[in-house]
Amino acid sequence: MLSRAARPALRAGAAAAARAPVQNAATFATLREIEDRLKSIRNIEKITNTMKIVASTKLTRAQRAMTESRSYGQTSNAVFEHAETKPVEGENKKTLIVVASSDKGLCGGIHSGLSKAVRRMLAEKPDADIVVLGEKCKAQLARSSGKNIVLSFAGVGKDIPTFADAQAIADQIVLLPTDYADIQIIYNKFINAQSYEATPIEAFSEEAIVNSPNFSAFEFDEEVLSNLREYALANSLYWALAEGHACEQSARRNAMDNASKNAGDMINKYQILFNRTRQAVITGELVEIITGAAASEE
Amino acid sequence: MPFAWKAAGLTYNKYLSVAARVVRRSLKEDKRLIAERRGEMDLKFSKWNNGKQGESKSLAEANSASMAEAGSQSSS
Repeated sequence: MLSRAARPALRAGAAAAARAPVQNAATFATLREIEDRLKSIRNIEKITNTMKIVASTKLTRAQRAMTESRSYGQTSNAVFEHAETKPVEGENKKTLIVVASSDKGLCGGIHSGLSKAVRRMLAEKPDADIVVLGEKCKAQLARSSGKNIVLSFAGVGKDIPTFADAQAIADQIVLLPTDYADIQIIYNKFINAQSYEATPIEAFSEEAIVNSPNFSAFEFDEEVLSNLREYALANSLYWALAEGHACEQSARRNAMDNASKNAGDMINKYQILFNRTRQAVITGELVEIITGAAASEE
Repeated sequence: MPFAWKAAGLTYNKYLSVAARVVRRSLKEDKRLIAERRGEMDLKFSKWNNGKQGESKSLAEANSASMAEAGSQSSS
């Protein structure tokens, strides 16, 4: 009796969880549950790790594009700085807010940061119109202030934004029926790899350019003015898109890095829990066998 | 001095992108392939009316359609 009863216990010690006690259904289930969770966490870690590597490679390219695009935007804004252009102050002039987000998620809070900045601006100017670039901010802003949205663009941020993208968007914005006093482009400013800030760039209307105090410093034909305005808008949009894209990649890298780390922590925790539970099951089994043997010997 | 492209209904940005496309296409084969990737544009957009999203359309088609319309208006 003893020898027969002791054999499964020895085997249980060697083959561990594979030979869990059938009579104790509750412990068996938890052991199995922990194993399943461990497996799924490991899979998630693998995925987040891969996404992190992909984002890291994209980040270098995105950052290069950002530095290049910055010179576009800054050069075109230099004109307005020298001319000391200011937005026209008027009662019935509307403001247009262009939000430069993107289509993809899984990159921390950079999209909601943009949405919050837009909502703050809307609180000041409730009648401002919104143009949304990218699906993520569109979903967020459609819920809170869908009535203000006039245009939305999709397909932004699949790859590094091109100047052709910015030009096409600028054309469509120029074609809008309303005459806007000024256009604010909200984008994520890249401060460093950890922090971004939703920042507005101004794009001015023709009226504002003509009325700027130092306008006489430049020689302009009347006709080229609208060209300048359209081109400046495209430049600013390109800058905002490229910098926003770099921020997104960097944010995604960080988010995936954190996710992988958390998954690693959880794996450790569950591994220890799994081992403990397994040990407890084996000990319980042994106790049962020994007491049974002791009882039958008497 | 009215610009010919303006009379045809093109915006300055469209004029620039056409010019850029011509330059890219006249490059040598190896350089052209890299450069043409920079000229790609595949966006979709939709107009919103009173808090409702309209139909989503291809941006490139809508742009050329509206410019053709502007061109026919100014020439007639």
